[in-house]
Amino acid sequence: MALDATMPILVVDDYKTMIRIIRNLLKQLGFDDVDEAADGSEALTKMRAKKYGLVISDWNMEPMTGYELLKEVRGDTSLSKTPFIMVTAESKTENVIAAKKAGVDNYIVKPFNAQTLKSKIDAVFAE
Amino acid sequence: MPLVEIKQLDQIVSVLREKRSSDVSLTDMVSLVEVTTESLHTFFESLDKAVFRELKEIADYIGRMREEIGALQANDMSRARIPAAGQELDAIVKSTEDASNTIMECAEAVMAAEAIDLKSYRAFVEDRMMVLFEACSFQDLTGQRISKVVSTLKMIESRVNRFAEAARVRDAADFRDAREIAEEEHRKLKLVNGPALAGQGNPQDVIDELISGAMPDVFADTK
Repeated sequence: MALDATMPILVVDDYKTMIRIIRNLLKQLGFDDVDEAADGSEALTKMRAKKYGLVISDWNMEPMTGYELLKEVRGDTSLSKTPFIMVTAESKTENVIAAKKAGVDNYIVKPFNAQTLKSKIDAVFAE
Repeated sequence: MPLVEIKQLDQIVSVLREKRSSDVSLTDMVSLVEVTTESLHTFFESLDKAVFRELKEIADYIGRMREEIGALQANDMSRARIPAAGQELDAIVKSTEDASNTIMECAEAVMAAEAIDLKSYRAFVEDRMMVLFEACSFQDLTGQRISKVVSTLKMIESRVNRFAEAARVRDAADFRDAREIAEEEHRKLKLVNGPALAGQGNPQDVIDELISGAMPDVFADTK
């Protein structure tokens, strides 16, 4: 899948400041079409209504976590191909393994910088 | 019962056994009753003293525990100290959020500004930078608030430790209340651990290796 700066991106995080940070970083990277959701279930609703080129999701949210969202996305044939990057403070090996097994495309541990976000997005679309 | 009285009773019983075939005299019976009464009286007197001593120790212990429970000041902790610490933490969350928003607003405004007139652009940037410096003052206030919360936690620790020592409390093996069990199950189910402390969790480079599959042994262990 080629990297397209006009593709819609969905940022999922229950912390508005983090959404704002990611939105600004994405803007600097040239991505202007950014939507947001406060948890997995809201994200799933938005994904079923609009086709996104990339999902960037936090893990720790209520009621539906980013990990549960990832499993739902990979289990839904109409959404399963959507690139998915986890951006989270959950840095334990068990979390990374679980996400990898569930089909995450890349994994960023918080706090992170613009370069890390860029390199992970590039890596996802280079595959 | 003291050994002397037991011996006396044994002697009387022996005499009675010897006279089993003949009649026991009234004098023997009276002396038996007298010795028995005397022995039992001494026995119950010693028993009273022992029980009294035990009860006094229990009463003293209860008294000490009342003092220790009073010193624990559980009501002060639950009604004043802990709620106050919670309010401080809420204020910390609020002030860091406000500061983050102010800083981001400044950064966004500077990035969106057009540098057509260099003089006005410079004045605008300097003005935003001053707002940015002011916003950073949250660190001083949050530092003071965190010190108050830490002080409360230390006070609670000190009181609980004092009480545990006074009551010679031992930790119950693997004790968790219903709320703790529910939280732990929730954490396990959703794999939610929260931010790791320094030295715990994985840095980005290790996560990159895990994601790229460069550490297949880790995955083999979890199959």
